[in-house]
This record gives sequence, C-alpha cells and structure tokens, in this order.
Amino acid sequence: MGQEKTTKEILEERLGGEERLPLYNPEALKAIEKEFENWKDTKVREKDRRDWEVTPRTVLGSEIPRKLTYTPLDVADLDYMKDLGFSGEEPFTRGIHANMYRGRTFTMRPLPGAGTPEEMNQRWKFLIEQGATGINVALDLPSVQMFDSDEPEARGHVAVVGVPACCVEDWEVAYKDIPIDKISSSIITHYPRNTAMLLPMYLVMAERRGIPWDKLPGSVQNDIVMENLVRGAIEYIPPKDDFRVQCDNIEFIRKEVPQWNYITLNGYNLREAGTSGVTEMAVAMANGVAILEEMKRRGYDADWTGERIAFFWAFANDFFEEVAKNRAMRRLWYKIMKYRFGAKNPRSMWMRTHIQTSGVSLFREEPINNIIRAAYHALAAVLTGTQSLHVDCLDEAFSVPSEKTLLPSVRTQQILEQETQVTQVVDPLAGSFYVEAMTNELEKRVLDELTEVEKMGGIAEAIASGQLHYKIAGYIERENRMIEKGEIKVVSRNIYPTKEPEPEIEVSVYRPEVDRAERERLARIRDTRDNEKASNCLNALKEACKRGDNVTYYTLEAARANATEGEMRRVFTEAFGMWKPPM
Amino acid sequence: MAERKRIKILMAMPALENHTRGLFTVSSMLRDAGMEVVLVGNELPERIIEATIQEDADAVGISTYCGSPIVFGEDLLKAAEEKGIKDRTVFVMGGIFPPQDEPKLEEMGFSGVFPPGPRSTREKIVACIENSVSIKRSANR
Repeated sequence: MGQEKTTKEILEERLGGEERLPLYNPEALKAIEKEFENWKDTKVREKDRRDWEVTPRTVLGSEIPRKLTYTPLDVADLDYMKDLGFSGEEPFTRGIHANMYRGRTFTMRPLPGAGTPEEMNQRWKFLIEQGATGINVALDLPSVQMFDSDEPEARGHVAVVGVPACCVEDWEVAYKDIPIDKISSSIITHYPRNTAMLLPMYLVMAERRGIPWDKLPGSVQNDIVMENLVRGAIEYIPPKDDFRVQCDNIEFIRKEVPQWNYITLNGYNLREAGTSGVTEMAVAMANGVAILEEMKRRGYDADWTGERIAFFWAFANDFFEEVAKNRAMRRLWYKIMKYRFGAKNPRSMWMRTHIQTSGVSLFREEPINNIIRAAYHALAAVLTGTQSLHVDCLDEAFSVPSEKTLLPSVRTQQILEQETQVTQVVDPLAGSFYVEAMTNELEKRVLDELTEVEKMGGIAEAIASGQLHYKIAGYIERENRMIEKGEIKVVSRNIYPTKEPEPEIEVSVYRPEVDRAERERLARIRDTRDNEKASNCLNALKEACKRGDNVTYYTLEAARANATEGEMRRVFTEAFGMWKPPM
Repeated sequence: MAERKRIKILMAMPALENHTRGLFTVSSMLRDAGMEVVLVGNELPERIIEATIQEDADAVGISTYCGSPIVFGEDLLKAAEEKGIKDRTVFVMGGIFPPQDEPKLEEMGFSGVFPPGPRSTREKIVACIENSVSIKRSANR
C-alpha cells in the first residue's frame, strides 16, 4: 500500500489533541461514582459483583464482555457534538439523513428467486406492476462463478438459485420491455471479475435498446473479499490482480455510468462464512481504505471515489452489539474519509448500508422459530437506521428460499414499518449509557483489527498470505465446539431440544429442459456471431490485463462482440495465472 | 496385506459450490477424530474419483449448499462405478438440502447423509464413516 502509518495512527494524530466538551458535569460524575460503589456493595449480590462482567456467547458473536449495568461513568467523557451530533450531520453517528425514516423508509429488498431469463422477465414485470421500483438480480451459480451454462461444471446448476446471465442475449431476454432507465437493478455480482464481465453485458443490452448509460440506476457488489477470501471455487486469480480489477471497475463505472453504485463493501458473506461482527467490519474497512489509496494513486480524490461506496452487513443474535455496530461504523467511516483521505463532500463520508439478517443464525429444528429470530435481527437493523433491508426466510437451513417463505419475510418488514412505530424517531437508542459505551467499544475494536490487517500489508496481502483464511477456519471450529458443548445456546437444538419432525419443504429444482434451452442459446450465439471479432476482443482483453490498462473497457468490447462470460473468465486466468488460497 | 487402521477421507464440493463453511467444519471434526483428511475442495465428479484412486482413500465426503445434490450425487457415483471403486469406497454427503432428497441419496449409494441439526453431530458423522469403512474393508478383504 505504500502507506507507512496505519489509519489508527493517522486518526490519533489528527484527532488526539482536540479539545473536548464533556456532556456530564465532573461533580455529578463524582457523586454518581460514590453512590454507585455504595449501591454495588450493599444491594448487588456477591455472586453478581464477582461476575460483574459476563461474556456473551452467540452464533457469530464478538464476545465483548458486558457489565451488569451501565451508568454515566461508562461514558464519562462523552462530548455530544463531537461523538454523536445530530442526524444528517457530522460525525453521522445518529444517521446519515436529518429526518431518517420520516423522509424515506428503509428499502425492502427481497430476493426474487430463480428461473430462466424468460421466467425472470415475467417475475420482474409482475413485481414492477405491484409497485416495485427496483429489482434484485440473483444470478445462478454458473453465472456467479463465471462459467457458461454449457460448461461441464455448470451441470445441475443452470437456473437453480438465480438467473443464468452468461451472454448479452440472456440479459436482453430477462429485461425485455422493462424500463431500465426508471427501474434500478441491484445486480448481485459478488466478485470484481464477474462485475467486469456482467455489467458490460447489461450496458450493451441498454445500448442496443438506445438507452444512454447516464440514465441507468443500479448497483453491483464488486468485492475482492467475496472473490478471494469468502468463496469456494475451482479457480482463482491472485488477490493483487483481483484488487486491480475491482478498482478498474470503479473507475470505469464512475466515468461511464454516473448513477450506478460501483461497489458494496461486503461484510455479510465474510461474517456468515464464520467470523465476528468486529472482523466483518474491519475487513470491509480495510478494503475501503485500500481502494481509496489506490484511486488516489490513479489521480482521483476521496470525494470522487467515495461518493457511492456502500456497505453490506449481517445482523445476528447479539442485539445490542448489532445496534451499536452500525452507529460505530458510521462514525469511524466518517473519520476515515474526512481525516485520513480529506473528503469534503458529506455524501462521501456517509456509511450507507444494506443489511441482511443472518442466515447462519437460523436453524433447521422447528424452522418457524427462524421467523422470530430474523424479526429480532431486523428490529436491530431498523433501530440502527439502515438504508435497505433483507430479512432471511424461515427455510434458510433447508434450501434456497421458496416463494412461499418469502411472504413472512416481507411481512416482518412491513409490520416493523407500519405497526410498531419504531421508525418515527431517529436513532432511538442514542444516549443509553449501554449503547453509547458499546458503540465506543466497537469503534475501538474495529480500528484495532483494521490496524492488524494494515500491518499484514493491506487487504490484498492479508488475503494472499492466508492469514484471514486461517482466522475464519479457526473461528468456525471454535464456534462449532461451543454449540456442541451448549456454551452457545440454540433453542430447540441444544436447549429445549425439539420433538417435532422435519417439515416438508418446497424447493427449486434442477430442470434438465432449462439446461438444454440455455445450451442451445449459447450454441446459436457462437454460430451466428462474428467469431473473428469475438476472438480479437478476447485477445485485446488479455493484452490489457498484462499491460495494466483498465480491463473493463475491454470486457465491454468483448460483450459487444457477444463473447460469453466463460470465455472472458478463461482470458483472465490465462493472463494473470491461477492462484490457490493457502488452505 | 496388513489392514490400514487410519481412515483416509477425501473432502470435496461440487465444482461451482461457493459456500465453504460446511466443508471446513466437518474436515476439522474428522481430523480431530484421527482421520487423514485430504482437502480437495471444488472439483468435477470425475476428478474427485480420480483423486480418490490416486490417494487410495477409504471414503469421500461431499459438502453441498447451492442445490442439485441429486444430479451431483448421481454423477459422482456413476464415475465411481466406471472406475470400479464404488464398492470399496464409502460416500457421505452433508449440507443444505431438502428432507425429500435424503432417501434418494441413500438409495443411490451414499452411506450417510447429513443435514445440519441433531442427526449430524460430530459423533454421528464419525461413527457412520468408521462403521461404513470397516464394513467395506472387510467385504473387500
């Protein structure tokens, strides 16, 4: 990264000497302290005094010790304006908009299921008729993993967990008659490399329909953590090259598709793979910091790069940790953007979030309990002011969720929004001694773990060396042991074990006729396109990879020539060489 | 030939499966139980069978999440049959799949099928593999 100082050191330098205006009056604090000790000695049981701090053990927990109670003494140096401020103002701890949900409620983003491009076209049109203003594009496994529907690896997976999208025609069919200048698409590309292949296909589809790119709203994930740390795969490219593709995409999209959100720093899938909320946030931050450095090197300032960066978190069982986490991250990201990178536009200091409730925290026993679990996760997400939410379905531990189980998931959000009134008041838990103390603690812990990653050499090097892979493996093993021993309590599994039989679950299945239709589509495309042109574009892409040019301009040309996703994948692998995670 | 005591198991996933948690969790359980684990990761069915022959493994464990356990299971066992190792190799599968797939997988030749939950504890997975290997070893002696 070429940066000598860690983010923590830079922030300490910039903010350490600042004068603070403590909210609590020192005399009052002194009196409280005296009374507190007295109360603790006389009213609290000896056992509770001894075990004053307990460490919560939960699925995906951070094990941050909790006191029996919190008082002003735990946030004694709180400076209201510096640490919290008002919503919509620095440091954005209380929210990125002044009126928060009174202005616009959280976006409900259910995943619309799986099927062929023709089926998804019907499904999306139905959702749009029902009032949806945006669609989520879940890809099938071959398209996520950058394989064509007709490669041997794809057998059994075509159109099972999402839509096949490995050639421009797939996109044309799926989006037929959908007003893409009005409907925003969240394309769940996951990785930098498939973002570089699939977004250009979407753009070529728009171009062929005569819709200018500056009218297109939407987002992609484009995250190296997803491609090189979290996923299993048959082939990888080296992390440093993948990091470059990630930044090439940002540069390309920022310039060519100005309304498009070019990166979602993904904590969710890392967390779910097996890690604490602290590591989840620290790794996403480390990627964010590395991106801003690299873009600075390329000549773009923090506001240019930062304006459309978004984050994606998992919300799991430890309710108050999750609440505090989003608040802590808003404050920390603001500090990083302003004090490390010199951002001036408030928009680029915003930590905008999409939150998905934790799937790994859901269990197979008595699946209806999962609705209850997910509702608590969702409540925490809303109390903490998320911009967008997806609530997991009750059948998460059985299969890719069915249409039937999607309904209670949407209803959970609607009940929160329409019935509970929790959206009326901005940042309602602020000022709680406990929540503020936890917010401080999380900010500190994330900054410490960010420092660890920076000392490993930054995100790409930390992945390449395997240190983060080992961290996940160790976490999973330990967590599993704690569930086995009952230290982490799971109702209906290791505490109050179930007597219920497993229910019948509806699942989306592999349909050989769909597979056949996709193969035929690809065969026809390869038959009718100008193969010399396609092959020239693929060669040009390979040269660009080697030369260091922005690759996304070349994948765009390849998409224009109807090259397929699998063909582009092989070019990347040939140009950069294969890499294997050190596990 | 003296009977090998230590069980050798190959752990793999379908070529495109991107969820790794199950594979790592169970691999570490099996190592703790004293088995020799060869972590193959993502592969095509034929390649998994080739690796099984090369490694002379007693058993193959498959982790799957993203659907199609039936298609993958059939392809894997067909490849094993073609290479003549189906009868002497133990096959087990774990992961996210619907209850109705379990009997189908057992019928096609998987000795154990492990969804998340109380039927898939460390003890039960280990015992299933040990028993199945010992049955196949004595049948093929």
